[in-house]
Amino acid sequence: MSELRMGVGGPTAIQVARDKEDVLVGDEIVRHRLSSRVIHWLVAVFFLTALFTGMAVWSPVFGWMANLFGGLSVVRWLHAWLGIAFVAAFILMFVAWLGDMKFDQYDKKWNVVEYLKFTDKDDPDVGKYNAGQKFFFWAAGLGALALLLSGIVLWWPAEFSQGLRSASLILHDLAFIAFFVAIVGHIYLSTAAEPGTFGSMTRGTVTKSWAKTHHPRWFRDVTSRK
Amino acid sequence: MAQGLEIRRSSATLRGGGTGLRKLPTVAKYIDTSTCIGCKACEVACQEWNDLPLAKTEQVGTYQTLPTMTANFWNLIKFHEVETQEQGLSWLLRKDQCMHCDEPGCLEACPAPGAIVQYVNGIVDVDPEKCIGCGLCETGCPFDVPRYAQGTSKMAKCTLCVDRVSVGLEPACIKACPTGCLQFGDKATMVETAMHRVQQLKADGFAQALYYDPQGVGGTSVITVLKHGDHPEWYGLPKDPTIPATVSVWKRIIRPIGFVAMAAAIFGAIGHFMAFGPKKPKDASKQTGGEV
Repeated sequence: MSELRMGVGGPTAIQVARDKEDVLVGDEIVRHRLSSRVIHWLVAVFFLTALFTGMAVWSPVFGWMANLFGGLSVVRWLHAWLGIAFVAAFILMFVAWLGDMKFDQYDKKWNVVEYLKFTDKDDPDVGKYNAGQKFFFWAAGLGALALLLSGIVLWWPAEFSQGLRSASLILHDLAFIAFFVAIVGHIYLSTAAEPGTFGSMTRGTVTKSWAKTHHPRWFRDVTSRK
Repeated sequence: MAQGLEIRRSSATLRGGGTGLRKLPTVAKYIDTSTCIGCKACEVACQEWNDLPLAKTEQVGTYQTLPTMTANFWNLIKFHEVETQEQGLSWLLRKDQCMHCDEPGCLEACPAPGAIVQYVNGIVDVDPEKCIGCGLCETGCPFDVPRYAQGTSKMAKCTLCVDRVSVGLEPACIKACPTGCLQFGDKATMVETAMHRVQQLKADGFAQALYYDPQGVGGTSVITVLKHGDHPEWYGLPKDPTIPATVSVWKRIIRPIGFVAMAAAIFGAIGHFMAFGPKKPKDASKQTGGEV
């Protein structure tokens, strides 16, 4: 496997990670190529700003968040445009990641309760993404669609019927609450809970031991290639 | 904000809007649709007093000035033609404006603190400086009253001439009415007047006559006498108006659940970390010590 070491003279992991992923470079594996990471952070920025502007309108408890953006009157239209930007970025991410997110036979035996126990008994058949991550991907897609459709109705209240506006109010609310809960879990699991994960979204790489622990089947696929 | 009037209720305010010390009788407009002649003096008076620009009238085939109220036109005499077996043909005229509900749906739905207020005397008013133009008040209103100013999207509607009322004058529309079908006073007196008029109408053969003061919104500060009280929809009024359930469900049920869910997510993550700790990669030396 000497060609994979690429130690002296060869490209470093971060250089490889600009346009390749799922490859081994020395002791690191490239998990997310640069374009993937940029798209992810675009989604994240628009999501969080849309979240904070939305929360300011949602309850006076979070009204102070509006001050970060210039007050409630600004937030009223800024939120809508940030929402559009979020959905646009999300569509890019959805298309880019779709191939890896299809459920397969290995996902059936993945158990969320066992997973959350954080034991050493890892499911050896977890691929690049576990079933929970795939579920999050699809649920977020559905949630983004719900936010978009209900958001359009709430944006132009005069154009829609009272019933549609009322339904949109509830749908937008429920989707927001679900997204808030999901994003807390997403941030927790990708930082404090599983050290070594965050780097996959910054410099794009993970260590081999990380890959073997969390995504053993993916680790085997990547290391056996070539 | 009208001088000398304390706030009874204020939108998106967590702990009340006023001291609750000062009590004033709720004021009300009395509108007798049976003696309205459709002269539109109230429309003109409203435009004049509130400095609203001239509205270009639109011919909609009836004796109505405009198809609907606008942000620049808060007082519209609605015209309805109804033909029934018993009464024959009727032309029903009703002065349409903000109903100044005791439990205002607009105020309930409004997310901007202090943008919609209810004064101690029951008048519901908008503070354009605090209004963010989101349009949620329209979703909360069962009477389709809120309109939005072009450009700014700020909500505008009848203020019940709070600037006149707070200095002891009657609203401009009342002042202009030539037939006395419009009156103004404290609500108890207006209800009494309405009851008296309903008795007269009943004696005149309108057995279904009643005054419209819908309790679904806690009653309104506009008391409307209807000859055909069993058919408020003939006058363009909803039969049993209430604040749309979704607005109440949103604020009173989903929002508290949302707060609990958000807190549960954050404390759940912290609790999980404390109970199960971080999942570190398995001993790295084992792998690197292998073939690679």
